[in-house]
Amino acid sequence: MAERQLTRNPLAAWTEIEGEIVVISPQDSVLHELNGTGSFVWRQVDGQRSAGDIAELMAGEFEVTPKQARADTDEFIAHLLENKLLKGDSEA
Amino acid sequence: MTRATPLMDRLIRRSLEHAVPLCVQFDLTYRCNERCVHCYLDHQGDGEMDTAEVRRVLQELSQAGALFLTFSGGEVFLRRDFFQLAAEARRLHFDVSLKTNGILIDAVGALRLKALGVRRAQISIYSADPAVHDAVTKVRGSFERSVDALRLLRQEGLRVTLACPLMRQNVGGYRAVLALAERLGVHSLLDASITPKIDGGPGPLEFRSPAADLLPVLADPVLNPRVKRSPTSMDGEAPDDALRDIPCSAGHYSCYISPYGDVYPCVQMPLAAGNLRRHSFEEIWHGSAKMRQVRWLRESSVPVCRACPIRGYCQRCPGLALIEGGDLLGPWQRACELAEQTARLAGMRDPVSAWHARRPGEAEGPVFFAVARSEAIPKTGEVTWNQTAKPL
Repeated sequence: MAERQLTRNPLAAWTEIEGEIVVISPQDSVLHELNGTGSFVWRQVDGQRSAGDIAELMAGEFEVTPKQARADTDEFIAHLLENKLLKGDSEA
Repeated sequence: MTRATPLMDRLIRRSLEHAVPLCVQFDLTYRCNERCVHCYLDHQGDGEMDTAEVRRVLQELSQAGALFLTFSGGEVFLRRDFFQLAAEARRLHFDVSLKTNGILIDAVGALRLKALGVRRAQISIYSADPAVHDAVTKVRGSFERSVDALRLLRQEGLRVTLACPLMRQNVGGYRAVLALAERLGVHSLLDASITPKIDGGPGPLEFRSPAADLLPVLADPVLNPRVKRSPTSMDGEAPDDALRDIPCSAGHYSCYISPYGDVYPCVQMPLAAGNLRRHSFEEIWHGSAKMRQVRWLRESSVPVCRACPIRGYCQRCPGLALIEGGDLLGPWQRACELAEQTARLAGMRDPVSAWHARRPGEAEGPVFFAVARSEAIPKTGEVTWNQTAKPL
């Protein structure tokens, strides 16, 4: 089965300062500061890519094995989904 | 500017370090459907930036890294393109707040704001007594309509603040205003910063409460718990702490934009740094000599105030020091008076500010950015005392 495509929550407010993303969660107004890899993931979320697509890009960009990239990406995206910063395609 | 969380504190530090305009107040119009007795504006709308111009400015602000965007005025809902502009701001993923009188907000409007993701709204209420409120706004029925707006926005889940500018005619009723906010389930904000008019005219100052009349507010332990403590807001900080040594956010990580495209370090700092019809935001923010001069200011270099024994109680505003005293680095006498009252309440015997203690003829230090009082002065102030910490 195809993986779900990811979208940023359009209600989230965010900016980028010197390469690092800062996002405000629309559900509880909590400020989230993403580090370099987290910001990389955020930038790849375009409504077309899935977690697997982003993990592949991550493995190409950082010195990390594909397996580790996938595990880390999945964990981070789960965190973003839980905090309503991202939406899966079924929720979009 | 805020009671910052560690993360917010770090965001501000990074914004300072990289000269990012993190917070922007954008007045979309000076037109208004109220005629508040203390207002600093002229309410004429000729020459406002049109929809396309505002959209371009929003894009430039987004590129500059701005995150917190406050639409204010005048009354923002008098702009027919307001929702279009709010939608564009949200598309550019700003954290959008509104300052409004709310009297044009109905259930449909409140729902649209929620759908757009506008997160906060601030509405001014001058008294819990409708007659007193309406006498300030000079619009009959405005109290009921503004309170309705507070309710509607609250119901839609926006973070809503009832702001009460304190003046001679309403300062005695501040507790009733706080109780009203509590009944409505909204945040409250008391603001005693009544300022001169935009053209420098002193008219609104006749409504400014004498410092002594503000004593009950200053002494209120709920609003001002710090009066029970020793003054520490400046004294305990490391002198090399860049964040603590800047007078305020103005020009450092925040700025103000007028409906005509003029960019200022702050809404109450009359130093026009450039106009967005002639220059890009980036050119003004990074290239303006006035912005650079304001960024050079440090609290530790303020000539009179740095030696003030009650500085820890002071809320000196450099913009108002400039407007009312002609010197960005000078004392703001209103702050001196309030600091003395606050220090007395905290238990100091006969506190006297450095400004009031100076000897006749004593050198007052250099004057920076002195301006003629007739120079255009944008808008009034921000928080003087707030009951709740500001949100992000």
